[in-house]
Amino acid sequence: MIKKFTIAAIAMAFLTVSIGVSMAGEKGNARKGKYLFRKNCRTCHLEGGSAKELSPVSKTQAEWQKVFDNIDQLACKDEWAKLSEKDNLDIYAHLYGHAFDSPSPAKCK
Amino acid sequence: MSERINNLITRRKFLQLSGVLAATTAVTNPCRVLYALTKDSGEKSASQIREVFSACDMCFNKCGLIAQVENNVVKKLDPNPKSLKSRGMLCARGNAGVKQLYDPDRLKYPLLRKGARGDGKWQRLSWDQALDHAAEQLDKIGKEYTRCGFLFMAGTDMQSTFVHQFAEAYGSYNVISHESNCLLSRNRAFLDTYGVMPTPDVLNCKYVIMPGSNRFEALVTPDSMDLMTAKENKSKLVVLDPRFTKTATLADEWYPIKPGTDMAFFLAVAHVIIKEELYDKTFIKNKTFGFEELREHVKQYTPQWAAKETDIPAKDILRIAREIAAAAPSAMIYPGRRSSDYEDSTQIRRSYAIVNALLGNWDQKGGLLVPKKVKPGSMHIEAPFYEDNPDDRVDAGRAQMMFDEEGSFKHTRDAVIEGKPYPIKGWMTYKTNPMQTGANRNKTIKMINTLDFMMTVDIAMSDTAWMADLVLPAPSYLERQDPLSAFLASSTCSGVITRDPVVPALFESKPVFWIVKELAKRLDLGEFFNFTVDDFRKAQLKKIPEVAKALKEDGVYNITGPSFGIHKGKPFKTRSKKIEFFNTRYKDKGIDPMPVYKPPLVIPENHFRIVVGRNAYVTQSASTNNSLLWELAKENTLWLHPKSANTLGIKNGETVRVSSSAGNVTIKTRVTKETRPDTVYMDTGFGVLSKGLTNIFGKGACIAEILEDKADKISGNMAMHETFVRISKT
Amino acid sequence: MTQRKKYVIIVDAAKCIDCKACMIACKVENNVPEGFWRNWINVLGGENGSVRTEFQPSQCMQCDDPSCVAACPVQATYKQDNGLVVIDPKKCIGCGNCVTACPYKARYRNPDKKIADKCDFCEDRLNRGKEPAGVVTCPTKVRVFGDINDPESRVAKMVKKEKLVQIAAPHINTRPNIYYFEGTRLLDWAVTPMLPGNINMPKEFWKSESTLEQG
Repeated sequence: MIKKFTIAAIAMAFLTVSIGVSMAGEKGNARKGKYLFRKNCRTCHLEGGSAKELSPVSKTQAEWQKVFDNIDQLACKDEWAKLSEKDNLDIYAHLYGHAFDSPSPAKCK
Repeated sequence: MSERINNLITRRKFLQLSGVLAATTAVTNPCRVLYALTKDSGEKSASQIREVFSACDMCFNKCGLIAQVENNVVKKLDPNPKSLKSRGMLCARGNAGVKQLYDPDRLKYPLLRKGARGDGKWQRLSWDQALDHAAEQLDKIGKEYTRCGFLFMAGTDMQSTFVHQFAEAYGSYNVISHESNCLLSRNRAFLDTYGVMPTPDVLNCKYVIMPGSNRFEALVTPDSMDLMTAKENKSKLVVLDPRFTKTATLADEWYPIKPGTDMAFFLAVAHVIIKEELYDKTFIKNKTFGFEELREHVKQYTPQWAAKETDIPAKDILRIAREIAAAAPSAMIYPGRRSSDYEDSTQIRRSYAIVNALLGNWDQKGGLLVPKKVKPGSMHIEAPFYEDNPDDRVDAGRAQMMFDEEGSFKHTRDAVIEGKPYPIKGWMTYKTNPMQTGANRNKTIKMINTLDFMMTVDIAMSDTAWMADLVLPAPSYLERQDPLSAFLASSTCSGVITRDPVVPALFESKPVFWIVKELAKRLDLGEFFNFTVDDFRKAQLKKIPEVAKALKEDGVYNITGPSFGIHKGKPFKTRSKKIEFFNTRYKDKGIDPMPVYKPPLVIPENHFRIVVGRNAYVTQSASTNNSLLWELAKENTLWLHPKSANTLGIKNGETVRVSSSAGNVTIKTRVTKETRPDTVYMDTGFGVLSKGLTNIFGKGACIAEILEDKADKISGNMAMHETFVRISKT
Repeated sequence: MTQRKKYVIIVDAAKCIDCKACMIACKVENNVPEGFWRNWINVLGGENGSVRTEFQPSQCMQCDDPSCVAACPVQATYKQDNGLVVIDPKKCIGCGNCVTACPYKARYRNPDKKIADKCDFCEDRLNRGKEPAGVVTCPTKVRVFGDINDPESRVAKMVKKEKLVQIAAPHINTRPNIYYFEGTRLLDWAVTPMLPGNINMPKEFWKSESTLEQG
């Protein structure tokens, strides 16, 4: 009984989260996001670069969600501020959409 | 009542060879050659023959080989005993590779279509002319229809990565592979259960249930060889297949399962394992998610119920469930590969994945593994973004959970024919033959006829090349320098392979890497191809220098170290971070979170179901015209059960017409008990349209002509076994 | 003094999956012309729509008392010291006697060279330190090749340990050197040696005493 409730609760939580997120995801264009990520972020977030190596599969969807909910707490928040809100959404759509546990985990970085 | 071969145990004694083959030693030549190298006058001395490493390309397995070259002519291809993946063997097709290299029908120079598509009239172009023309078309279509107006389809090949890179630089997201005509629904199911597609450790497995797969004919290395070794080590093999294949004949038990009912069988197995508590409670508690839901869900799926669906006796289903659970964790439901069968093929494979999880075989010897894989470095390109491009792929939104980077051939083809959501007017294919391997050939022809321009890069005049506007000759694998390719393959044999030219490229053939590089230059995209294959390899080897030495000395790099017990404590790449019996993402999307059985469509009266399969000397459609292999299979035949033949008044060898809603063909029959009375079969790769395949033109029938193109709802994978055909006398 | 070699092959037909790898490997290695084979797979079943249940690879048995050698009018074919029965291309006149004399139908007349041809255990490869092509290429390692006179060889050990049988020919014992594991079927496919033109020959034609039917 409890197990069933937990399942339902988790499902609801994910549903809420994914609705919220997918609305953002819908607004964001993942393909543009891939280009923007590579242009703006990957130069530093590369192996041997000035920041931690990152690609979509570096985090789960929940983890990316957390990152983007707290953008002002990022080390590179100034870089983010330079981009438009649309660009931010696009990058988010790319990272979230191809995350570690997404239906289409990114193959190339 | 099913027809079952009697005396499975007494009809052949499977004798154990002296000594158990140790699992960890490489299977090299079993006998030492005991005499010294002698030189007889008039005999070839060893020094005249040059040995060169390469990797076979006659199918996707990439078995290591050692080419025997004399006076710059490849005389023979020998297996590479150090290629652990292939267990030091080379199959009929591998040996026949010399006739892919020295194929009289090979494409020699660029060709431009004259006359209508499919007429087979060509005019020879120089490379410059051909590339200029192609670049012009790419540019024109890109301007008129956006860059996404051009579709790219590259097959399973070590240079396909360059085609993908070109597509990216060019700016099209419409890139598909052959995989959606094959195994994407299987990948989907296992990914959505385990967060990864594991590989089966057949070698150490003690109990294998093999649904549909035909490993002793559809060779997969090392699984096919390991299956025999496992049998020598007293492993049990149960085969579920409507056909009595060579795997069935070598199995301990074979059931001519009613096609489309695999899920019923496995849900019943799950029912027994759960009801009788035959599972590892600690594993289930710690590593899985949704067990209680599963328990509730499978209550209805009893062996008695499943017997009615599958044509397999209930007592056998019950016994097999108990037997396999007793053999756990070195027991498995073999995942197989090609899953292009039913509209719910993802859910069918979910049932395989779920039973595997109940057996607790994850990361265990004889179970499902994710061995360490070599991770080569890569070259990064920063492709431009084309603002006028549409938002998404042309096949988006038609399947519930399509793989974004693989796409769906079936849905893409439909979209191109419809012209929705936007038009596609150009198509480039490389080393793939959808005219033969994509169900419903007439639709493929229709699709091609909507295009402004189609170009094909291939080694022979396949049916797909035959329909193209521009045909560019590629070299065979024995003439190529390829990047490194890392492969994952079961226990003890993940590794890296590569190719260097064994002989120089014949005629005017050019590798696709060079072709896309030249196209890029003409489209002002040259900066994205500012490197050679050597440079690319260097980038790949940067992180893995030990690989270069092994490739040079052994022709293959084999990864060492344990391949199981290596994921302890690591979370799974799923939402719950555990193995998911219950998939919440499915639920969110309105997909059944656990597989729900739906009986297959009832075969209409006077119809038969047709199924697709393979044999050990035909690789889909790529090898049927090979002069050596053709001797073994000069045409295909329609397998028809004697009872059905009798009812239809058809004799063995008689030519019949086979028709479906997709098309019709004529073909000779092979009356045989090796198939169910309600099921027919034919090999793929015959009935070609191309007159450039001189051995087989006019022979046999094209199965793609009659296969209907349903699709797996979840992944968009082709679903070919839902086709019902009529058979009539001609 | 080194002992004479005697090459044999032991076949575990239970492991054969009829993949034809050995047939193609042999064909390429030995330039066997189209339409002919130096090795083949015998199949149990398949006629009249019955299911195929067993597969058995076979080839020239390099017999110890070869009826083909006895049948040759010009001594073009003979048994070597290493046990291989070979054909001298300079002597063979292409008469075809040896082809029909073989109970195992292992020989054929090569249409390009116009002389007799058959498996020679890939003698060229043996001279290069390699085993026969069909042995090496096999996915399930059905054939085990070696010198039975070498007590350390795998074949010598197997002959001691395993229950092995030979394919008997009717009316004649040519003492073949390919052994099969007991327990598989397909043991009765050898034929009576004949002269070309389907002419029967009396038993006495085969000169050697030991080739005659025992008992």
